[in-house]
Amino acid sequence: MIARLSPVERIGTVALSALALAWIVAAIARRDIFFDPVLFGLGSGAIIAALAIGLVVAFRASGVINFGHGAIATYVTYVYVSLVGDGQYPVPPLPNPVAPIEGIAGIEIFDFPTFIDLGDSMGKAPALVIALATAAVLGLVAHFAVFRPLRYAPVLAKVIASVGIMLFLQAAVVLRFGARAKATEPIFPNEPVEILGTRVGQDRLWVLGTVVVITVALWVLFRYTRFGIATRAGAENERFTTLLGFNADFQAGVSWVMASVLAGLVGILVAPITGVTPNFFTVLLISSLGAALLGRMSSFVVAAAAGLMLGIVDQELFRLELEWSWIPDIGIRRALPFVVIALAMVARGESLPSRGALTVERLPEAYSPRITRGRLIGYGALIAVAFWLTVFAPFQYRGGMQNSMIGVILALSLVVVTGYVGQISLMQMALAGIGAFSVASFGTQAGMPLFVSLPLAVAAGVGFGLIAAIPSLRTRGASLAIVTLASGLAMGEIFFSRPGWFGLDRGVKTTDPPTLFGLEFGPNSDFFLGDGKIPTGGYGLVLLVVGALCCISVMRLRRSRLGEQMLAVRANERAAAAAGVNVAAIKLSAFAISSFFAALGGALIAFNLGTYGTNTFGIFASLTVLAFAYLGGISTVGGAITAGTLFSEGIGIVVTNEWVIDVGPYTAYVAGFFLIGTAVYNNEGIDGFQRRQFHQLGGWLGRRWRAARRGAAPREPEGADV
Amino acid sequence: MSDAVLATHGLNVRFGGLLAVNDVSLECRQGRLTGLIGPNGAGKTTFIDAVTGFLPNNALGSVLLEGEEVFGRSPHQLSHAGLTRTWQTLELFDDITVRSNLDVASRRLTLGAALLDYFRPRHREDRVEEVLDLLNLGGIAERQPRELSQGQRKLVGVGRALVAESSKILLLDEPAAGLDKAETEWFGAQLRGLVDQGYTMLLVDHDMGLVLNVCDYIHMLVFGQMTASGTPEEMRNNPEVIAAYLGHSGGEA
Repeated sequence: MIARLSPVERIGTVALSALALAWIVAAIARRDIFFDPVLFGLGSGAIIAALAIGLVVAFRASGVINFGHGAIATYVTYVYVSLVGDGQYPVPPLPNPVAPIEGIAGIEIFDFPTFIDLGDSMGKAPALVIALATAAVLGLVAHFAVFRPLRYAPVLAKVIASVGIMLFLQAAVVLRFGARAKATEPIFPNEPVEILGTRVGQDRLWVLGTVVVITVALWVLFRYTRFGIATRAGAENERFTTLLGFNADFQAGVSWVMASVLAGLVGILVAPITGVTPNFFTVLLISSLGAALLGRMSSFVVAAAAGLMLGIVDQELFRLELEWSWIPDIGIRRALPFVVIALAMVARGESLPSRGALTVERLPEAYSPRITRGRLIGYGALIAVAFWLTVFAPFQYRGGMQNSMIGVILALSLVVVTGYVGQISLMQMALAGIGAFSVASFGTQAGMPLFVSLPLAVAAGVGFGLIAAIPSLRTRGASLAIVTLASGLAMGEIFFSRPGWFGLDRGVKTTDPPTLFGLEFGPNSDFFLGDGKIPTGGYGLVLLVVGALCCISVMRLRRSRLGEQMLAVRANERAAAAAGVNVAAIKLSAFAISSFFAALGGALIAFNLGTYGTNTFGIFASLTVLAFAYLGGISTVGGAITAGTLFSEGIGIVVTNEWVIDVGPYTAYVAGFFLIGTAVYNNEGIDGFQRRQFHQLGGWLGRRWRAARRGAAPREPEGADV
Repeated sequence: MSDAVLATHGLNVRFGGLLAVNDVSLECRQGRLTGLIGPNGAGKTTFIDAVTGFLPNNALGSVLLEGEEVFGRSPHQLSHAGLTRTWQTLELFDDITVRSNLDVASRRLTLGAALLDYFRPRHREDRVEEVLDLLNLGGIAERQPRELSQGQRKLVGVGRALVAESSKILLLDEPAAGLDKAETEWFGAQLRGLVDQGYTMLLVDHDMGLVLNVCDYIHMLVFGQMTASGTPEEMRNNPEVIAAYLGHSGGEA
């Protein structure tokens, strides 16, 4: 057994055994430090474990790492809480078909129902049944509407679709229930019991027991039943399983329902103990992803055990931080999932078991337009309009332009790393946060001038981006997405969530407006053009220039030799290596360039906001940025510009608010919805869609023109394909 | 010393308990087309993977490139050293043009070169144009690989391996897979033409017809072991070869 492990795994096994032994000795010596936290940690460990085995079920069924798993748990839990508390079944927020008319005409026609009333309050059993039925429906929809059409799609599209599910469901919860925590009545008895002299809540043990039972049941199901064996085979080689007469699609559908119901069940059982907030389970999901990864996304037992361990170690570190003051207070505890995941990546080597699909669809095209005179005129016109909107338009448009230009720069950071090199990064806003926090620390707090503090801030972002990219050299696809998500979380926990010179001051971070050679050009500074109201045009103009330079530099990158090598790595890492491309160097340079743009964007956000906090740069912000970038078009500069207009409070949103309807609170919800649609039906995003339409239109006009010159009427089949 | 461009000595590849390549020693001489044949599963592709550095954890042995030990280097280092390969499944870069496919492989990109190119782009590389001409790919240089015929795609794969400035030997992994009889003959003639111009190649294939027709010297691999070597004439009459191929794919080959 030991002989089959790699050297790294062998060292790890020995180290873990030694640690466990030391722990047992220590627990006998100091129960309060080394035994009690273990008992307390079992509770949260059980939740992490339960989410982890749900992830494994979904992965084994369809090769998808479902980032929306936690959000499914959250949604179902809220349904349950609402049924038990108020007897109301929430209606998923749907677009009100007459809303645009209402908005334009300024009248109220009718309101969409938000809840269906099912009596005062419901018993726990019927509420549980209805909530779990909802979970089953969610699983079916996820399979049939999203992941089945994506069977042969690149990993990127699958990851994006599951991120879309996460954003969509989470936004639905916030829209229906608000962002505050909810509590509900206990399901399990919660009188404390005594174990070896330590009192612990009984309910936690019940949850733990449930998780153990489910794990064993799943293990038996997948190991010994015909269904389980077929599902396992189906995820490995779909064609073969189909030839054997199994319906791989049915297997995957059933597994999705199982995963989804499991998620819902966990949420409902845990809600009375911890209470729920809209992102509670998604934050826990990062630990679960680490645990599932340790089980190679295929072992229920390893995933569950790893999940329990993560919960226990978390509690233990919490206790030790209280006990031993010499442990630096730098958020080691919350950074733990990242450490575990990074170590697992290094130890597990290459990558995840990949799915033997029939074919793989192509990635979005990294289109690079030829620079013609017509295009240059077009770009000039675009910049002229942008200039007018930035300086002379009413204040809300000016603000929208500022947000959009920053959004363009952030989206460009993803175009380089994800669009060109195919490496999924879910930590971009954390890198932006490094830029934003450093520029304030170096500039405002340390008093350095802008031409020192801004390069330092960007360099800090690049440095952290490179550190976080190191585990990525051995991983790709969805596992890389998990690593970067965990890295982003770790950066947030270590830097932005705690007070300190680098971090927060009374819960916020503040920066002075940017000043260069005595000239102040913040969003509130005086500017000689425009109406003089805040925000003034000066800062927007700086953003416009910087944004345009960033766009040009990425367009040049696409045409350069480095860009060609990036696309080669994206297309095929093995073949690129055989063609002499240093794949590791290309990936690292992509992460460096990407971090450069992200940190620059972050610093610009800092000046734009002046005062900002942790959430601006949290993991959900990172996911939202990826969502917008993908929606706009992940592999082109045009896509990044489109993404910028869609950006939160960007110019596109401002225009929609002013002219059509106030979409403000629905932004994340709508973005999630369209993100899923983009991933499934049009992976080139809005930019690619427009480009195809233009090409078709251009082709059609060209044929018309040539036909007219020949003096003949256009033939039927040529006109028909428009 | 012989004029071997590439020589392996006692190359072994082990996957768990399975010895996929067992003590294989062979030489590829300057300006020759050496063949490596064997039935499916004989370890031919594994041999190429091992030589080109794709199996760092499984392979052991010695690989000499013009007399210099190169075993243990990474794939991209081997490519720079002059050891280039093609793939049975082609593995072209589908998102970029044929010319860019060759561009990527043509020159080593150092940090300095990348920066220089970024700020002062040179769009045409002489070596790339030369190879495009050599393989008659000039007309499709701006097309993407997915728009081409299978035969053309195979040639692009060969071109990508040829184009490296330092290329000393080309390892071709089943280049005739997926081609029909006429295409295979045409492709074989192209390869022969290149060798006659002085290129050195190792052709791995299980299509006996192709290998016997175009190669100068042939080795046969069966279950990871080299069981026969000789000129095409000798191989045609070798009982080992006949035994390995008869009733297998010998009929249609």
